Amino acid sequence: MNPADVAQSVLPLTSSDLSLLTLFLHAHWIVKLVMIGLMVCSVWVWAIAIDKTVLYTRSRKAMDRFETAFWSGQSLEELYRSLSSKPNHSMAALFVAAMREWKRSFEGSPQKSFAGLQMRIEKVMQVTIAREVERLERRLLVLATVGSAGPFVGLFGTVWGIMTSFQSIAASKNTSLAVVAPGIAEALFATAIGLVAAIPATIFYNKFAGEVNKQAQRLEGFADEFAAILSRQIDERG
Amino acid sequence: MQIKTASAISTGLHVLVLAWATLSFNSKPFETTPAESLPVDIVSEKEFSQLTKGIKDAPKPIEKPKPVVEKKAEEPPKPVEEIKPKIDEKREVAPNKEMKAETPPPDPIADKIKPQDKPPEPAKPLAQAQPQPLPPKRPPMPKPPQKQPEFSPDKIAALLDKRDPTRKSVTGAELNSAPSLGTASGAAAQLSQSEIDALKARLYALWSPPAGAQDASNVQIMIRIRFKRDGTLATGPQVITSGSGPVFNAMRDSAVRAVLVGQPYTMLRPEHYDTWQEIDFVFDSSKMYSDIPVRRQ
Repeated sequence: MNPADVAQSVLPLTSSDLSLLTLFLHAHWIVKLVMIGLMVCSVWVWAIAIDKTVLYTRSRKAMDRFETAFWSGQSLEELYRSLSSKPNHSMAALFVAAMREWKRSFEGSPQKSFAGLQMRIEKVMQVTIAREVERLERRLLVLATVGSAGPFVGLFGTVWGIMTSFQSIAASKNTSLAVVAPGIAEALFATAIGLVAAIPATIFYNKFAGEVNKQAQRLEGFADEFAAILSRQIDERG
Repeated sequence: MQIKTASAISTGLHVLVLAWATLSFNSKPFETTPAESLPVDIVSEKEFSQLTKGIKDAPKPIEKPKPVVEKKAEEPPKPVEEIKPKIDEKREVAPNKEMKAETPPPDPIADKIKPQDKPPEPAKPLAQAQPQPLPPKRPPMPKPPQKQPEFSPDKIAALLDKRDPTRKSVTGAELNSAPSLGTASGAAAQLSQSEIDALKARLYALWSPPAGAQDASNVQIMIRIRFKRDGTLATGPQVITSGSGPVFNAMRDSAVRAVLVGQPYTMLRPEHYDTWQEIDFVFDSSKMYSDIPVRRQ
């Protein structure tokens, strides 16, 4: 069999050829739509997964570094000066926000207002934590949605494909397996893509939700400790 | 890391996976090994109706060879051969066997002479314990050689067989009385179709209803027939169907006559006597001229 013959036999896609491309091309346009949508979902899910994995890894490492620096006895003023220009992770942002509020209360106004300082600092830190957690959680809902709805969308494509294939079976008045099989295969392809998109989405969502939870806890803990330190400072100065 | 970079990476991965899937997911047709042709035995209707029911743990026919008599069911009936009892080979002692085998035609003279040649060996129990050379031949004894087998050390096993030396081997019809690997749905304890047909054919052949009653197509007369084991009637035929009128009476009487005339019913095999001990036979005038099985007998 020379290459020319192979090309000759491959080029016209007969109905007995059941490669994935043929399955896609022969499908009904609604099934095609479902397949394309699920493919896009899968691409997006994996993009989010890659993005979040990198983000969380970096964030965790930065937090480790910051905590070592924070508890090393280094002056908080120096730490603030080195970080205030661009706080590049959640804990730094938290620290910078609290320090900024502290400095503003001490340096900005001539008369020192200690009365509500403790409360203000806690407020600022809570807001910052909420913002940072929101940043960490961004796009995770996409994963949850794809994970839960993907199989249904795929199933819809399958049902539609089987419906149309049964209609064509009825039209051709032939029930041999060779007639039935391609339609069923292309219909099931939709469910396959739905599962391909949904399974990683669900797994990644669970993993990332746990990760976000852990980091939020860590931020809360740091905020409480830092608030305690600042509170002691306030009491000493006041 | 920007989400755009991640999207690009993800898209690249998907393209790679799809390309691989497209290339490798080509469906290969199932390899179907062509089925080998099987020899098929055509079983006739008669053979099928005589299938006996089997049990699962029956010994294989090879392991347990069948009794001496071959099944003769398919051949044209040879009454002499089938009726004649056969002597079991095991019990036969050498002289008889050889004599039988070597005398081709029944020669009356030779038959008379040969038993005289055979020394009637007294089968003493002691003889088995101390085998001794054969004693000199004695004057002829009037006993038949079957009763007085000659002692020979090679035949001790046969001599030890305490069963009746003239017992009959099973003959044709009882050949498969031992459980064998039969069919799951065979029903041995029932009248086979051929027996029923034979009985029906015989009774219908003997039944001559009055000529005018042939038009009465719906008359059915059920007669209870009780048989004895030899196929004759145990009691008189008992008419079960009740009816009245001259036509019915005439047909009933003719049916009773047919039952009486037809005995003995030799087509009913005595092994199944339980099943045909009592038969309710229906004479149906509508089937009289259409359904008579002519093929058998």
